[in-house]
Amino acid sequence: MTKPLARNEIIKEASGHLRGTLAEGLTVAETGAIAEDDQQLVKFHGMYLQDDRDLRPERTRKRLEKAYSFMIRLRIPGGVCTPEQWLKLDRIARDYANGTLRLTTRQTFQFHGVIKSNLKTVMKAIDAALLDTLAACGDVNRNVLAASNPHRSGAHKAAYDLAAAISDHLLPRTSAYREIWLDGEKVAGGEEEVEPVYGRTYLPRKFKAVVAVPPDNDVDVFAQDLGFVAVLDERGELQGWNVTVGGGMGMTHGEPDTYPRTADVMAFCRPEDALKVAEAVVTVQRDWGDRTNRKHARLKYTIEDRGLSPFRAEVERRIGKALADPKPVAFDSNGDRYGWVEGEDGKGHLTLFIENGRLQDVPGGPQLLTGLRRIAEVHKGEFRATANQNVIVANVASEDRAAIDALVAAHGLTSHAGALRRNAMACVALPTCGLALAESERYLPSLVTALEERLAAHGLAEDEITIRMTGCPNGCARPYIAEIGLVGKGPERYNLYLGGGFDGSRLSKLYAEDLGPHAIVATLDPLFAAYSRERVPGERFSTFLIRTGRVAATANGADFHARTGPLGPALDPAA
Amino acid sequence: MAFPALLPLTAPFAEDERASLDRVLGGANAVQRAWLAGFLAGVDASAGQVAQPAAPPRAAEPLTILFASESGNAERLAQDAAKLARKNGFKPTVIDFADLDVASLGQAKRLIVVASTWGEGEPPGRATKAYNALMGDGAPRLDGVSFGVLALGDTAYAEFCAVGRKLDERLVALGATRAVPRVECDLDFEAPAATWLQGAVEALQPPREAASGNVVAVNFATRTAGEPGRDPVAAEVIEHVNLNSSRSDKETIHLALGFDGAVPPYEPGDALDLYPENDPALVETVLAAARLTSEDDLRRTLTTARDITTLSLKTIESYAAVTHHAGVRSLVVDGGARAWSEGRQLVDLLEAFPASLTADQLRDLTRPLPPRAYSIASSRKEVGDEAHLLVAAVRYESHGRARYGVASTHVADRLRAGASVKARLKANRHFRLPDAAADIIMVGPGTGVAPFRAFVQERRAVGATGRSWLFFGDRRYTHDFLYQLEWQDALKDGSLSRLDLAFSRDAPEKTYVQHRLFERRREVVDWLEGGARFYVCGDAKAMAKDVRAALIDAFADVKALEPEAAEAAVAKLEAEKRYLQDVY
Ligand code: SRM
Ligand SMILES: Cc1cc2nc3c(=O)[nH]c(=O)nc-3n(C[C@H](O)[C@H](O)[C@H](O)COP(=O)(O)OP(=O)(O)OC[C@H]3O[C@@H](n4cnc5c(N)ncnc54)[C@H](O)[C@@H]3O)c2cc1C
Ligand SMILES: Cc1cc2nc3c(=O)[nH]c(=O)nc-3n(C[C@H](O)[C@H](O)[C@H](O)COP(=O)(O)O)c2cc1C
Ligand code: SF4
Repeated sequence: MTKPLARNEIIKEASGHLRGTLAEGLTVAETGAIAEDDQQLVKFHGMYLQDDRDLRPERTRKRLEKAYSFMIRLRIPGGVCTPEQWLKLDRIARDYANGTLRLTTRQTFQFHGVIKSNLKTVMKAIDAALLDTLAACGDVNRNVLAASNPHRSGAHKAAYDLAAAISDHLLPRTSAYREIWLDGEKVAGGEEEVEPVYGRTYLPRKFKAVVAVPPDNDVDVFAQDLGFVAVLDERGELQGWNVTVGGGMGMTHGEPDTYPRTADVMAFCRPEDALKVAEAVVTVQRDWGDRTNRKHARLKYTIEDRGLSPFRAEVERRIGKALADPKPVAFDSNGDRYGWVEGEDGKGHLTLFIENGRLQDVPGGPQLLTGLRRIAEVHKGEFRATANQNVIVANVASEDRAAIDALVAAHGLTSHAGALRRNAMACVALPTCGLALAESERYLPSLVTALEERLAAHGLAEDEITIRMTGCPNGCARPYIAEIGLVGKGPERYNLYLGGGFDGSRLSKLYAEDLGPHAIVATLDPLFAAYSRERVPGERFSTFLIRTGRVAATANGADFHARTGPLGPALDPAA
Repeated sequence: MAFPALLPLTAPFAEDERASLDRVLGGANAVQRAWLAGFLAGVDASAGQVAQPAAPPRAAEPLTILFASESGNAERLAQDAAKLARKNGFKPTVIDFADLDVASLGQAKRLIVVASTWGEGEPPGRATKAYNALMGDGAPRLDGVSFGVLALGDTAYAEFCAVGRKLDERLVALGATRAVPRVECDLDFEAPAATWLQGAVEALQPPREAASGNVVAVNFATRTAGEPGRDPVAAEVIEHVNLNSSRSDKETIHLALGFDGAVPPYEPGDALDLYPENDPALVETVLAAARLTSEDDLRRTLTTARDITTLSLKTIESYAAVTHHAGVRSLVVDGGARAWSEGRQLVDLLEAFPASLTADQLRDLTRPLPPRAYSIASSRKEVGDEAHLLVAAVRYESHGRARYGVASTHVADRLRAGASVKARLKANRHFRLPDAAADIIMVGPGTGVAPFRAFVQERRAVGATGRSWLFFGDRRYTHDFLYQLEWQDALKDGSLSRLDLAFSRDAPEKTYVQHRLFERRREVVDWLEGGARFYVCGDAKAMAKDVRAALIDAFADVKALEPEAAEAAVAKLEAEKRYLQDVY
């Protein structure tokens, strides 16, 4: 017997290529929400219906519905935008959103708090900035990332070009987007349209692709459905790409058959084949992916179920040629390189640290939004959003650096924060995220302060350790490939994961459950102490924990839930 | 006051009955006694009993009572005047300025005018047309008309009783004779108005002998039933909730009042007069300024019964008189007092020109604490013994001091569920629902939406078939959408057919109800041509004017009319009483 299709499949099928009743829903004045099915469809257009969860308790008594508003996510391949575009986005954030721009873990921006009556105005303004939000969310190929530390100018250009090409090639063809948001011409019925790659029901689930340039793994290639890893010769010239498939973070508490998974390196492809390979991987997942269970629909499960080599064979069949085996490549870190770096072309690139990617003017604190606006007003190069929620002021001529540095200083923007903070990421979570079980973005900064104090006490103030927090197990800040991962379970309750690779290639392991703020510090403190005592030179915190048998290494998704908890030498808190 | 006993002890009445009769008859004038005689004779006659031969009835003298009223006070006094006139043998006709044919005014030989002042010295909305006609060149001569004017106003306003004053002067200018000097009443008009009416009716008496008949014929049909709900009643606060979200910079209280059994017989469109108390903190500051902090009786009086915020010219003058304070006197003398009082209150006066006062002096500087009107936001058909109000807290700063609206912040800050408050019905028969089959368009931004909540509840209860269209607006959709969930239900159950919204602070360019109204002009004009009624409630200063202007533009655009013609179209609606306002 065959299992019934997941509900979203019915919705997609019936939507007339992502139209549903969205257009009508926008005209209903008395509610700030849209119809339930449309809430699924609007994601394909780059939006989520949310409500301010801080306000929930008071609303009914005040005869008000939930404080609905929309999150809007842009599609910006490689995270590259011009100063003119930056200024336009900054305007939108201040006029129609909650006064902040949010850099995401996937190299783009989000607006939060846009109410329904302003949606079309904002979408038109985004269009006027020559940007769009199509397929930024939904069961399609999402924004495509490209390695962003642009010191290797040649390879990075290739990476960016491929990312942009994949993003465009896999973009839905439906005209619903223009029709609904930009008052474009109605395509009769919409039904005659064809989606050459996707078909009427698109993909079983979201799909994410990146392009990486070793030794930087800033795009966290192993967390993605599809990855292209640059293979360079000794002169730094691009030979082709290693293709990775089947990475992903999402899981559900208490459901062991859901788990994060690091991608497999499937094969090597020549530059001219990359686009074809990308399309083939997508169509195989389109046809093989599980459309009956959304918790089992990502490519990572398709590969676990069907096996890597059958999957590779099918991809080769669809592109009509065999692929070579992967070439050896090595990553050293999945973080960003802060401060100025100089490209081979002599241009300067300034990576600024933006805590949790939230660009805002903090009363009496750093004026991040204003600062970057001022920079955009004078900057002649471009901006690059990084997959670590930071931003790079890219391609600055040497004579212009001083001016930028002055603005950075004047607005409290910085490339220097504590070592732990520089390597910290938190997802959005409360109050906007509907799935959050605990605080994340609003809590991590203070936790980092507490932890940095302990690290300093053990003489580890300058040691780079990655720490990532999410408000639920979906893993939006990729916590399972951080050395310290904290995943929300409930208000002030987090699961602690340890042992994730500093280079983003190894998953972590559940170490302790349901920790409150104090317990988190108390649990990590002795491990910091031991690390500073017993580590061998150059040893990373995560590798130390595994070498000394405190934490079991996670080989792959399948054994993510095995051998959890503290192992080895009993911890002595006195240390 | 007491009168000498009139009835002999031998009169066939009980002790207390005799006392009561003495109290009434002792105060009655010759005419009243004559009337009563006729009345009693008539009663017996109609009861088929043998009556003493009554003197031949004399034709009652006509008396025209003209009123200009917005919120009903002048109108009520006009009715009182009519009753009193009838008692005194007149045949009164009460005319609303709204319905006045100015040309015919010359025929009125005897005339009483009761007029209130609104806006900044303007006539009540409905009265404007006739008022302008009377003030204009086309006005008729009024030679041979004898009249008296009773002016209603509020000393808190610079243009105190301006309309009454202008009318008084105008009538003389047109040749009429002033039979009785004008009085200008403040908000505590009941007593002075009653006395004035007595005097006016006497003054307009026809020559004595006409009234000399010892018995007056009484038309029983004109016996008017006592108006219910005229006296303040105690209500209990059942629900008190600020409808604005905690992120809003506004504070609008939904106040549900319970009257167990004694709910005033209100109709949708009516208001309640709420009797506030002063902020105890302000009372202390005032007492301190006057060096009277030890006066507990005064403290009680000022808190519950006196207006200690309004600073009228009158107050400044009497303060100068009692204190002889050089500063104030020069203010009064060189006429700077009015300007100085702008945005200031009694406490500023006391602190700027310190002087120690006696308790009586301080009390007499103040007028009685007037009640505040609040449109009733509920229908008895839906809430039974309750009445709901929607109160916006008034808070602002002036001359470096935080100021709190007396009544609205009494409601917002000091009333809570379980508390009790005095209220009195303030009927408004000029703001009523049409029959259930007619369409209505309601424009009510902010607290202006209150009566429309009552309208919608009423129409739901009676299963009205006419369509209802509401235009609502405020600052922000998410935080200031008053009664959002209730409107959603009303749209579902059909008691509300359409809702258009205008929130002014959701986007850089401000949108107000008048903009939405114009956007929807085609349907709006369509509804109106189909006989719909148009209601406006809320802010008088800007909104009401802008909405009217927008409707004129709508007609001009949709019907391709010249501005004058479009204006006329709206004026016609007003004349037909299909464009109704309740603005403040
Ligand atoms: C903004 C962002 C986190 C951030 O702090 O930057 C984010 C925010 C949300 N993610 Fe995510 N995800 C973000 C990157 C990720 C990543 C990281 C990555 O892709 O490199 C992951 C893990 C990788 C993966 O996909 O496995 C991720 C895995 C999820 C999942 C779990 C998917 C799964 O397979 O289980 C969900 C929930 C779902 O899809 O059902 C989710 C859902 C969400 C939603 C839309 C919640 C919802 O579905 O209602 C969050 C919106 C919160 C808000 O108020 O903004 N988000 N999300 C990131 C936006 C990326 C972008 O620009 O497109
Ligand atoms: C028929 C009618 C119906 C009404 N219905 C409602 C209703 O449904 N809901 C409602 O909330 N109100 C309603 N009102 C208004 C209400 O009666 C009161 O006038 C209002 O609540 C203010 O009263 P208060 O005692 O709080 O303020 P007050 O103590 O009377 O102070 C108000 C005075 O303060 C001054 N003032 C106010 N704001 C400022 C400022 N920003 N700057 C300088 N000076 C300022 C002005 O002189 C103003 O007259 C209605 C009024 C009428 C006549
Ligand atoms: C919005 C508003 C404006 C007013 N403007 C004046 C004014 O300018 N001068 C004045 O003497 N009284 C003014 N008053 C007081 C009224 O004249 C007073 O309340 C009167 O009793 C109302 O009588 P009515 O109910 O017959 O209209 C105003 C009252 C309100 C509510
Ligand atoms: S990880 Fe969970 S809480 Fe955080 S943003 Fe993603 S879905 Fe929301």
